[in-house]
Amino acid sequence: MNDPDTDLVNEFKHGRHLTDELDHRPFATVWRAAQQTVVASRRRYRMFMAAAVLVAAAVISVSMQVPSPAVPVYIEVAELLDSTNWVAPSDVLLPDRQFDIYQEIPVLHQPTEPARGALL
Amino acid sequence: MRDRDALDNNPHISRSALEAMHSQLFGWALSRCGMQRTAAEDLVQQAYVELLSGNARFDNKSSLKTFVFAVVQNLAKSRFRRLATRMRLVQQYQVADDVVDPTEPSAQNNIWIAVRELPTRQRDIVELVFCRDLTIEEAAAVMRVSVGTGRAHYDRAKKALREKLKEWSETDR
Repeated sequence: MNDPDTDLVNEFKHGRHLTDELDHRPFATVWRAAQQTVVASRRRYRMFMAAAVLVAAAVISVSMQVPSPAVPVYIEVAELLDSTNWVAPSDVLLPDRQFDIYQEIPVLHQPTEPARGALL
Repeated sequence: MRDRDALDNNPHISRSALEAMHSQLFGWALSRCGMQRTAAEDLVQQAYVELLSGNARFDNKSSLKTFVFAVVQNLAKSRFRRLATRMRLVQQYQVADDVVDPTEPSAQNNIWIAVRELPTRQRDIVELVFCRDLTIEEAAAVMRVSVGTGRAHYDRAKKALREKLKEWSETDR
């Protein structure tokens, strides 16, 4: 009497040709296609890397050419340390918009509540 | 020692070794793709690309066959996961028809009909052991399960197949 496992395996072997022996693309063809895919992807990668390097170089060269905006310095630390005399650079600190105090009176917030009998 | 036709990025794999298992690999890919021939051919080619480029690197710790089968299994999983979800949705909402692909083995063999009715892991281990000549240990490695789990799936699958075939033979009488 046959082993039940052997019977089962034989059943499979009988039907095996249905999948394995279906005519499929020969190995050489699939292999060649795979090799071409690898070569093409490497070429794409190399081109991408070259383009990335060019872009990076262009960005660096452009950024080096553009002068950085001057940051206004109100107090020169070195100058301050070198002397015992210092005057505030009042011109620099003046507001951009100036007004004529005789013509335009700025609206100032004033409290209307008296404090101890007098307006603040 | 390095084979004469060893791959540049995978020195433990030789072209001739892959050629020897090409048919079985195609059969395995075919069953991974729901018997879609074109998809199976693409899958095998993609597996070769992975081996050639060195993305899938064989370190000679298992058998080459186990490794290459696992590569196909992983590629199929990642590639067809989304597709399978879409297919399930389509099948869920479309009217069922009884058109059977003539190339599909289940159309011609009772045993394949029985195998198709098994749960996925049992179906896979039966195919790997019975059709692809892998040991249970190798099949478990391909399926990324422990040997104990592999044995359990294998035993359950055999039992279910025997019962199903017995049931059908009694019905035929």
